[in-house]
This record gives sequence, structure tokens and C-alpha cells, in this order.
Amino acid sequence: MSLRRSPLFVSGLMALGLALSGCAAPGPTAAGAEAFNDPLEDTNRAIFDVNQAIDRNVLLPVAKTYRTVIIPPMRQAFHDFMQNLNAPVVFANDVLQGQFGLAANTLGRILINTSMGMGGMFDFATQFGVPYHANDLGITLATWGIDEGPYLVLPVLGPSNPRDLVGQIGDGFADPGDQVAAAYHRLWASMARALVSGIDERSRNIENLADIERTSLDYYATIRSLYRQRRAAQIRHEEDNLPNPAPVQGNLGPSPAISYSVATAPPLHQVSAK
Amino acid sequence: MTRRLQLIGTLILLAGLLRAAPAGAQDAQAFVAALGNQAIQVLGPSVSPAQRVARFRQLFRDDFDVPGIGQFVLGRYWRTASPEEQQEFLRLFQEYIVQAYAGRLGEYGGEPFRVIGSRPSGDETVVSSVIERPNAGRVQVDWYLITRGGAPKITDVYVGGVSMKVTQRDEFSSVIQRNGGRVDALLAQLRQRLAAAR
Repeated sequence: MSLRRSPLFVSGLMALGLALSGCAAPGPTAAGAEAFNDPLEDTNRAIFDVNQAIDRNVLLPVAKTYRTVIIPPMRQAFHDFMQNLNAPVVFANDVLQGQFGLAANTLGRILINTSMGMGGMFDFATQFGVPYHANDLGITLATWGIDEGPYLVLPVLGPSNPRDLVGQIGDGFADPGDQVAAAYHRLWASMARALVSGIDERSRNIENLADIERTSLDYYATIRSLYRQRRAAQIRHEEDNLPNPAPVQGNLGPSPAISYSVATAPPLHQVSAK
Repeated sequence: MTRRLQLIGTLILLAGLLRAAPAGAQDAQAFVAALGNQAIQVLGPSVSPAQRVARFRQLFRDDFDVPGIGQFVLGRYWRTASPEEQQEFLRLFQEYIVQAYAGRLGEYGGEPFRVIGSRPSGDETVVSSVIERPNAGRVQVDWYLITRGGAPKITDVYVGGVSMKVTQRDEFSSVIQRNGGRVDALLAQLRQRLAAAR
């Protein structure tokens, strides 16, 4: 489920998801390890390589198949549904951080999307001018003054640090959806949800990550830099606190979102990894 | 399609021009808006890869502070590099960025961005813009500008709070560090990469 929360990359400039490669070379100097806040670099790089292999052989092929087989409106509905399912956790963290404007946005999104959006399958709130923002316990801990600790690459889950790892675990326990599933002994539901959101996330970053890997001299170092900068930016909440955009004019409904997916899908496919 | 892009570009330009802001800041905003307009037109998905590289090279040379960025991304190793290495690095770095980003920008779907304001930051001006993506949320793109020889030049671009300049510096520093602090190791890798791209 931690796969749900990944920074994104845009205009082909930035993205993060799972961890990946790097060139095998001697370890860094002590001073350098400090500069990158990565004292466990050798171990991290080894795990990164394993994650890369898993990504290449399992996750990426599955994500590509997912994108080929499932039609865009359905993928969008899955995405919106899982985003809505995660919204209570976002709301709780908005409140814990004293971001009451953001909390109001999230609460509004839950109410609109769960009712009008039929249990969260359609993101009407965005069309009403209340866009999604991410939030998690790692960010909450940071606003409470807790240091990130050393950079970590987790098996399968990828870039992290002790603070964000604790946050991920905490968010997992707090998640109402998972609690309901546990109460009814439906562990498979939680697992299916984590799996689908992981595949969804990966399928949305196929070109971005392939592009960064292709153009990087040291992919590991690039991902590390992107992760740390992106988390710092999320903690600042600048982007999230921009004024809300104007509501979409004209017919409200799933159609604009769907036509968007269809319109952007072909070029993305054409440029696909190598 | 092109018509629509032109219209969007014009709107962006107008939006930038209409903002109430101090003269310098207004110039900076107009510059960014015009650059966005230009970029959407010359780098769109319909442009052939070779053409895109050529056009982006031109744009990068004209509108970016290449020497300043180059010096920054080499970090503390700029001082340890010999003058010849510095010169060669600037040449290789420029071409490396052109090759890397021309491809990435080709995937940019051309969603319009709007300039939302500007603020001073030291001797630089920061122009903020936002890209609203219907299904993927919004992204703030901040442009750092400095005036060199009477013309604004871009010194850095932040996408979603991530500095392109810092990312590049972190990567290059890592390469140099893992090769015993030798700048020529980075130069060799850049040369190799560019040769492969041809």
C-alpha cells in the first residue's frame, strides 16, 4: 500500500516509484556519504539493483499489460476509487499538520466523490475545482520536527528513510479501509488493493522512469536526489496550497477525464521505453 | 491542433502580460510565458526527434545561463578542475542536457501552463507557473531568471519543488565521487554517452 504514495514526474522531468539501477563501483568517501545523507549507500545500491531486476522482470511487464488490456476509463475509475479509499488517511494527516484548508478540501472531495462519484469511481471534486493532494504520516512527522534520518532503499518498496518508513506503517494501521477488511477477515481485499494501486502507480510512470534511466549517468544517484527533493517539497506544501483552479465549464461528468486519457494515451505508447 | 496550441500560447502570453506586477517582474513573467508558448510550438509531439534536438539546442543556448548552470552542477569539483577540463565540461554538459531533455520534452503532452506570479529571490526573479493535468493533479513549475547582458536567462527550473540544477549536480557529484574524485572520469562518461547518442 505504500506504493500508493509516490511522487510524480511531469513533462518528463521528474518521477519516482520503485527503485532501480546504478553502476557498480567502489564505495563512496565518508565525506560524500554525508553530503548525500546516504551512509548505507553500498547496501542501498545492492537493494536498488535487486529492485531493478524485480521491476524489469515482473512489475514493468505487468504494468504494461495492465495498460494494454484495461481500457482508459476503467483504469481511471480504479485510480480514482483507490485515491478516494485513501482519502481518510490524507484527511487525518492534513488535520494533524494543522493544514485546515487542505483538510477541508479533502473532506469535500470524500463527500462529493463517495456520493456523486459512486463510491469514488469518478473524481467529480477535481472538476468542481477541488484538486487532489497527497499527504501522509511521513510528512506529518516532518512538520513535527522529526528528522528524515539516513536515506534507505527498501526491498520492493524503493526509496525511503526511517521517518517515511514509520509513516507508511502508521498510515497502514490507521487506514479505515484496511481496518474494515481486517475486522471481517478479508485480508485478501487489502492485499488486492495494495497490488492494484502498485500496478496503477507503475503504469502511470512507465515512460517517465524509462526516460530518466536512459538519460542518467548514475540512475541510483538521480532517484535519490529526486526522492529527497520531492519529499522536502511535499513537506513545504507550496504546490498544495495554490489557489484552487476554476471549475470545469460545461457538462460535468466522467467524459472530460475519459477523453483526456484517450487523447494522451497514443503518444505515450509510441514513445514507450526503447 | 496547431491552431489550438497557438491559441493556448497566445492566451498564456496574455495572461502573463496582464498580471499586475513591478516592471522587472512583469518582463520576467512575459519572458516565461513567451518561452512556454515557443516551447509548445517548437517541441511538440509532431516534431521529428532530430528537429526537436536542434530546436531545443537553440532554445537552451539562447535562453538559459549555460555557463552559470554548468559551474553549479560541477559543484565543488569546479574548483579542482583544470581550465581545460572546465571548458570541455561546459561543452559536453550543454550537449548532454540537450540530448536528455529534448527527448523528455517530446513526451510533454502540451498541457497549457499558466503563469501565476513572480517574486524576487536574491538577485534572481522566480516566475511561478502551474500545469493542471486533468487526471494527474497539478504541478507547479518555477522558473529562476537572472539578467545577463540586458537579457533574461533561465538559471534553474523547479518542477513540483524539484530543482533540475540540484538533481544534475547530485548525479554528477556522485559519478565523480565514485571514481575517486576525478573530474576526467565524468568527462569520459559524458563523451561516451554522447557518442552513443549519435
